[in-house]
Amino acid sequence: MDERELIARVRAGDGAAERALYDAHVDRVYRLAYRLAGDDELAREFTQDTFVRAFERLDSFRGEARLSTWLHAITTSVVLNGLRKVKRFRHRETDLAEATEVSRGRRQAEPDLKRRLAGAIDALPHGYRTVFVMHDVEGYTHEEIGAALGIETGTSKAQLSRARAKLREALADFAGEWVS
Amino acid sequence: MSLDQSDQNDQGDREDRFEQRLRDMAQEYHRPPETPREELWQRIAAARAARRRRRAVSASPWLRWGVGIAAVLVLGIGIGRWTARQPGGNAIPLATAGGNDQGMLAYRVAAAQYLTRTEALLTGFRSEARSGQPDAQFARQARDLLGTTRLMLDSPAAQDARLKGLLEDLELVLAQIAQLPANGNQEDLQLINQGLEQRGVLLRLRTANPAGPGPVRMQGAL
Repeated sequence: MDERELIARVRAGDGAAERALYDAHVDRVYRLAYRLAGDDELAREFTQDTFVRAFERLDSFRGEARLSTWLHAITTSVVLNGLRKVKRFRHRETDLAEATEVSRGRRQAEPDLKRRLAGAIDALPHGYRTVFVMHDVEGYTHEEIGAALGIETGTSKAQLSRARAKLREALADFAGEWVS
Repeated sequence: MSLDQSDQNDQGDREDRFEQRLRDMAQEYHRPPETPREELWQRIAAARAARRRRRAVSASPWLRWGVGIAAVLVLGIGIGRWTARQPGGNAIPLATAGGNDQGMLAYRVAAAQYLTRTEALLTGFRSEARSGQPDAQFARQARDLLGTTRLMLDSPAAQDARLKGLLEDLELVLAQIAQLPANGNQEDLQLINQGLEQRGVLLRLRTANPAGPGPVRMQGAL
């Protein structure tokens, strides 16, 4: 069954088609929600909200983009708004320079590069973090990211580049390990 | 090849190696577990059913009556508890069942709204507690909800044994959060979180009221 037919059947109230649509997309939605939220319960809530909204608004889907693109736009909107609501960004929106100083100060106490990388990603401004996670971690293309976040493809590329630069700066004292 | 070109090539190689290594290592960042497909599908189905029911009810003038009656009944329970207090004596629960479907609907609506607020508070609190010191607003909201919890325990909504057990656990957890000092240490937070986990409070809340954040829900135990 192609995507157009599947959507038509969901719109007609076909429960099996609803399940098929869910099965086709739930993994990527949940994975993205989890990567951005870093919390299983929040990821479940965001995935639930994404599909509830998607099924409710499917009539407004005009088919100009792929269904997955439309669904990921809903996902990112649900996740980013949800994260703002639970104020999880409070600790992430730390000024990166400060975060870098703090993390450098812990070089002796916390030598684990992976943990340092996770902390540095958390400390990225949330726009950079979202693009970085979507592109470098989850493998979305810049076109998909642009469509999902409502930004130009060039903006997505620029934000990724800045995110990588900030990560490089934050992990500068691990430079030897990076290239080894 | 000139030295400049050679330097540029080295620089480019290093950039490429850095980006590749970054991508590889970033795979560990918030690595998701396997998707809980069936559980998520059940939650989505329950949430959609609750929304459909809510829309159906909201289209009916009975809902407006129900919500109004709910507010009046909750207020009535509060007044009843207040006026029943004797000097030096304990409060005597005066709340009685509505005695008809409309009254029960009103209680259910009130209970659903209360459970939604409590779920939001506990989810936010747990999340904040993991990342540091929760805001003082959690204690204020917990105090507010604690009063409602006690009203709910005296209302017909607590005739359901499952809901009553949940309300009793919520009363305990909310009391702990309400009493949390502004500079509460990690041990206090850990104790509250352990209580939440061990009694499965959030899971039971969501089972009782499974539609996710929303103003009115009537599923599960309700």
